[in-house]
Amino acid sequence: MPSTNDWINNPLGVVEEMFGASQNSCDSGWEAKVTEFFRQRLMEKDAHTWVPSLNDVPLHYLKPNSLVKFRCLIQDMFDPEFYMGAYDTVDPSTKARVLRCGKYKDVTEWGVDLDSANMVTSDRQTFYCVPIPGESPWVKESYASACQARVVPSTSYVPSRQKRSYEDDDDEDDMDTQPQAQGHAHNGTQAAAESQGNGDCKRQETEAPSGQKASNPPLDLNFPLPGEQGPACLVKVYTDWDSFKLNDTLEVYGVLSVNPALSALIDQKDASSSLILDPAECMETAEELRVHRPPASLVPRLHLIHTQRLTHNNPLLPPAAPEDSAASLASTLSEMVSVRGELLAYLAQLLLGDALAAEYLLLHLISNVYARRDVIPLGKFTLNLSGCPYATAPAYTEQLYRALQQLVPSSYRLSMTLQNLNQLRLVPRKDYVANRLESGLLQLAANTSLYLDETQLDQGQLDPAGVRNITALGNVISWQKVDYDFNYHQMEFPSNINVLIASEGRSLLPSDCHVHLQPQVTPPNMEAYLGSAHTAQSSSQLNKFRLYLTVARTLDYSISEEVTKAVEDDFVDMRKDDPQSISADDLHSLLVVARLLCLSLGQSALSTEAWGRAKHIETLRKSRSEPQGCLNGNEP
Amino acid sequence: MDPALPTDTGPDGGIHVKDALSEKCQKLFLEFLEEVQSPTGELLYLADAEELIRPERNTLTVSFMNIEQYNQPLATTIQEEYYRVYPFLCQAVRHFARDHGNIPPSKEFYVAFSEFPTRQKIRELTAARIGSLLRISGQVVRTHPVHPELVSGTFLCLDCQSLIKDVEQQFRYTQPNVCKNPVCANRKRFMLDANKSRFVDFQKVRIQETQAELPRGSIPRTVEVVLRAEAVETAQAGDHSDFTGTLIVVPDVSALASAAVRSETSSRLTGREGFDADGIAGLKALGVRDLSYRLAFLASYVAPTNPRFGGKALRQEGQTAESVKDQMTVEEWEKVFEMTLDKNLYHNLCTSLFPTIHGNDEIKRGILLMLFGGVAKTTMEGTSLRGDINICIVGDPSTSKSQFLKHVEDFAPRAVYTSGKASSAAGLTAAVVRDEESHEFVIEAGALMLADNGVCCIDEFDKMDLKDQVAIHEAMEQQTISITKAGIKATLNARTSILAAANPIDGRYNRSKSLKQNINMSAPIMSRFDLFFILVDECNEVTDYAIARRIVDLHCRNMESVQRVYSPDEVQRYILFARQFQPTITPGAREFVVEQYKLLRQRDSTGSMKSAWRITVRQLESMLRLSEAMTRMYCSDEVQPKHVKEAFRLLNKSIIRVDSPDINFENEEDEQEIHDQNDAAEAREKGTNGVNGAVTDKEQQPITESASAPKAVLKMSFAEYRKISNLIVLHMHRMEDIDEEGSLKKSELVNWYLKEMESEIETEEELISKKTLFEKVLHRLINYDHVIIELTQTGLKRSKYGEAPTTEEDPVLVVNPNYTLE
Repeated sequence: MPSTNDWINNPLGVVEEMFGASQNSCDSGWEAKVTEFFRQRLMEKDAHTWVPSLNDVPLHYLKPNSLVKFRCLIQDMFDPEFYMGAYDTVDPSTKARVLRCGKYKDVTEWGVDLDSANMVTSDRQTFYCVPIPGESPWVKESYASACQARVVPSTSYVPSRQKRSYEDDDDEDDMDTQPQAQGHAHNGTQAAAESQGNGDCKRQETEAPSGQKASNPPLDLNFPLPGEQGPACLVKVYTDWDSFKLNDTLEVYGVLSVNPALSALIDQKDASSSLILDPAECMETAEELRVHRPPASLVPRLHLIHTQRLTHNNPLLPPAAPEDSAASLASTLSEMVSVRGELLAYLAQLLLGDALAAEYLLLHLISNVYARRDVIPLGKFTLNLSGCPYATAPAYTEQLYRALQQLVPSSYRLSMTLQNLNQLRLVPRKDYVANRLESGLLQLAANTSLYLDETQLDQGQLDPAGVRNITALGNVISWQKVDYDFNYHQMEFPSNINVLIASEGRSLLPSDCHVHLQPQVTPPNMEAYLGSAHTAQSSSQLNKFRLYLTVARTLDYSISEEVTKAVEDDFVDMRKDDPQSISADDLHSLLVVARLLCLSLGQSALSTEAWGRAKHIETLRKSRSEPQGCLNGNEP
Repeated sequence: MDPALPTDTGPDGGIHVKDALSEKCQKLFLEFLEEVQSPTGELLYLADAEELIRPERNTLTVSFMNIEQYNQPLATTIQEEYYRVYPFLCQAVRHFARDHGNIPPSKEFYVAFSEFPTRQKIRELTAARIGSLLRISGQVVRTHPVHPELVSGTFLCLDCQSLIKDVEQQFRYTQPNVCKNPVCANRKRFMLDANKSRFVDFQKVRIQETQAELPRGSIPRTVEVVLRAEAVETAQAGDHSDFTGTLIVVPDVSALASAAVRSETSSRLTGREGFDADGIAGLKALGVRDLSYRLAFLASYVAPTNPRFGGKALRQEGQTAESVKDQMTVEEWEKVFEMTLDKNLYHNLCTSLFPTIHGNDEIKRGILLMLFGGVAKTTMEGTSLRGDINICIVGDPSTSKSQFLKHVEDFAPRAVYTSGKASSAAGLTAAVVRDEESHEFVIEAGALMLADNGVCCIDEFDKMDLKDQVAIHEAMEQQTISITKAGIKATLNARTSILAAANPIDGRYNRSKSLKQNINMSAPIMSRFDLFFILVDECNEVTDYAIARRIVDLHCRNMESVQRVYSPDEVQRYILFARQFQPTITPGAREFVVEQYKLLRQRDSTGSMKSAWRITVRQLESMLRLSEAMTRMYCSDEVQPKHVKEAFRLLNKSIIRVDSPDINFENEEDEQEIHDQNDAAEAREKGTNGVNGAVTDKEQQPITESASAPKAVLKMSFAEYRKISNLIVLHMHRMEDIDEEGSLKKSELVNWYLKEMESEIETEEELISKKTLFEKVLHRLINYDHVIIELTQTGLKRSKYGEAPTTEEDPVLVVNPNYTLE
């Protein structure tokens, strides 16, 4: 059996060994054995923390062909690919034939005998994966610090990659200093920078050294959100690939393949594709090649051995489904009510003392599309927070976002300027020339918070693209789906995005719930006020909040028979008194509010008290927003 | 052609592998061509083969079904070893053509197979299928220009000037390995003699998995298809096509085998590749190579896709019920057959279509009939009459209008959902835009065009741009869109049903106003809708309960809350099948239509201004369309009066339901005759859908004709009337529940009611007026709406309609067992 670290440093050795053993014993189940072996190893206590992660270790520090992990979102799915599953090699000097296994590899060694009868062709699927879009800095830090893998630049590898590593070093510096750097940017000129940079260039790979690749434009790594960093990865999947869906978030454990030969072989193909008489040779056009086989140094290949679906992306919680770790959650559950109180106080502080708005914000933060009935997504709770003080404190909405970003695992703030609306690509689009899915802002992982800042909107003209973008946002809010543009038709992909709209008046976009902010305090210096509110929270306190939000969202919930009856009676009674007071839709949203209220208290069943409370806060909220509604003719 | 079996002309070595199987196949195939006869006794492929003499022709299309019938083993061999035997089959065609005509010796011939029975999904194409004959279908997403491909090259040796002929080329440029001149050792320096070489047309297209085959949440797969010879240029981007051919591996495995040697020589000496990167050469010298390759599909035959179910079109020209049936699997067909036998089909289809929407049965029925559609006709003058049914839903906010639209978008193939408020620049119809790259004008399709042969769902119809409102006229009646802009003049098809939703002008529907006053829509557009439905947020205990239950169920994780008799797929298949029927109208039905139309006209002309619109020929057409749709639903070829009845009922509902004006109790006696006329319709309604609780609102329209109501007290709003009637029924049900045998006297009921109302009554006059009012309501319920039945003392003799109810002083009342509360 391989020694402890071999399976991390040399997983292919393990694979070869098992493959070899199977050949002797005619055991066909060796593939299952391999995955089982790695699964077992990773199950061991803390074992997974020993595996270096592509997310926080620069690529050139990683040993090629070693086991690495990658936390990612499936951005695109390529066509299946065929490879030599098993092949014979002939040693040119000794003429000894050895049967080898082609699994988890991209390139072969010398001496492949292609006429051998032992050659087996197998297929595998390639996914284009990007880091989870909008992942908050605290999540990244937390994962990075939990990782115990010690990586040093592998000496044997440095010479051949000297040039590249210089560039990556830069990259890495960026990453290391990222939290601070972001902090700087945000405090000052960030809004300006974002509005102009969002559109085009930020999406592209950072600062390509000019001399090195002058001939090629920088490769577009196709991140959904502008300004994202980190490696994109081609993940090759060997089994059960139909169970993966687009936009799934995964933690992939696999063999890292960065052999520079890959790029070289492609360059060669590229050149030969100019032969007119060889039309079949250029099955892939230059654009496609760039996309499907980018240089391995930029987009490494990862041969998947084991994967884990992420039901949440909170490093404070064990990655497994909450049911499995009930014990560890027990303490959290018992504390939920008290944490809720603290969090409410904190949110109220952020919302300038408005306790009702704070409560709704809390409900919004734990909302989650838990089921779909036909076309109706259940559990979504889009909040429109109107009355944000823009005239007196233009930076308020942004600072509010900054504070929320500290609480949720992934988020993005879209400032809804006319320019952004007209120029940004919100909806992913299929590019048939390069044969890939060009990502858009709305290609987000489940439970990402999308913060729409409508205070940034001015009067002006929306062009067709702008109208499409507004429609797309409306679709996400109302139906939790995004219609990806496939040119000849549109294809619907379900989404699960928490949308929060901050606006001065009622938003032009639809929402499930509209709360008009009623500030109780008017701090002279908004920045200082919010800053102090934020710094007052210790990091352990923040961690409690983060844990609370994730746990509350994943709790189970049900409504008992009696309560069902009571709710029905209640509805009918209310209708009897005043038919206009409550419509079917109101009941619908009332039930959503009641559900979220229960979850926020850690209860897994609707109680009559919670129902009463839900009704109460809904009445309070409505009494606030009614005069508002008349000003703006948008249908709710 | 198979690289493993070099043909004897191959210069690359002395190994001659005789492929016995392939040669046998060639022989058998030639026999097949020579022998197979059409039913009239002629050689089936002779005419086609003679055609091949023409210079532009080179492909013989052979039906695979014919081969199967002629020689099953041959068919099996071709299917399994397609790639291997293909060159031999082509050879057979060549012999066949040569035997029957004078063809140039150097001409290449190809064979293509049509009517290949089974079809593979793109997702099922795996390495195991390489080389066998397959049929796949997909949407063409990209086409490349047609190139000449070298099939057989003639080379000139640059050393000894000798010609080397017929060097087989297979997907890549292949030079002779060595000059055939024994004294010349040249292995590298050759020149292609293009004039003496043979070429074939070659085109690459890329197809994409169709939406029907795509698992939810996945990106559609794509496959490169290589087309050759006559198959080139037969597929255009956007087409749904079937491709028959085989999977091949790219780069070719055999090419890989000698790639190292070959590409080295070719690159160095032809100088074409022009790179001298030593690093790469070095890597290659090490033998490092990419382990992966891709599959491509080599297609010899292209045909437009026969849409299977869920293949994206509801209607297809040239399809018949038979051909649709043929495309179904046995189970699918059995299910459809079972559905045709379902007695409760109408209702079951409705509920299966909208399982999460409560009530609104009429709208569901209307939409269902819309999906079936009427028969499009062309008159003798050549004007075409649309068969599509247009529906408009007007209603208060939050009454699940959008849900209806979303459902239809989700369910119907080729349905487009758009909002009047935020439609694209192309709007609903189409726009001429300048292409950013080529600066050419192109037509950008709008929602209506995209929904051609489908359903266009337009939300917030009333908020639509004015220019769209104008443009939609033409689309709704003529079913075309005309564009005259920027030098482009075009008429485009927009054969689509329109399902629109609109909000009333004041936000809420005002019952005291007519439909016209309630919505912001021009009369011409209004008249183009076949059905108008009004959704009013009505209030009564029973529906409220039902709504509450439905919504709460939705929120508890009860999966059973979505109840469907048939799955969406089944309904879709059924509709596609049923749509193939082109029902004609029987004489009986014709008379009935005329009769009903006359009735409508008459009522209209008697001066009721409250009618939604003037009854015109358009309504007659609507009635016919609805009847045809009804007939299609029952998979019948003839429109029967019963189909017309339902169509009339729906139409009636849609027109009259519009107002539900106030109920005036004073003039009821005068209106009896008109009631008589309506009675037929009403009785029918009770019979056919006891489920429908809206019985009460049947016939308010004629009543209001006499506008001069003497006493204001005796008028009440329709809502109030409904409220009281429901109260009564509930009470009576309750009493019945308490005591099975107990009977409720009319006087008891009156007393009970007055007691209920006690709190509201203050003076004696009020008491009296309440009492009279209540009695009037009761009278109406008994005599006109038949919700309550009066029993004479001896019991069980139903009071006859029109009979004076006063004969019995205090009759016993029971609720009509057929009446169901909504």
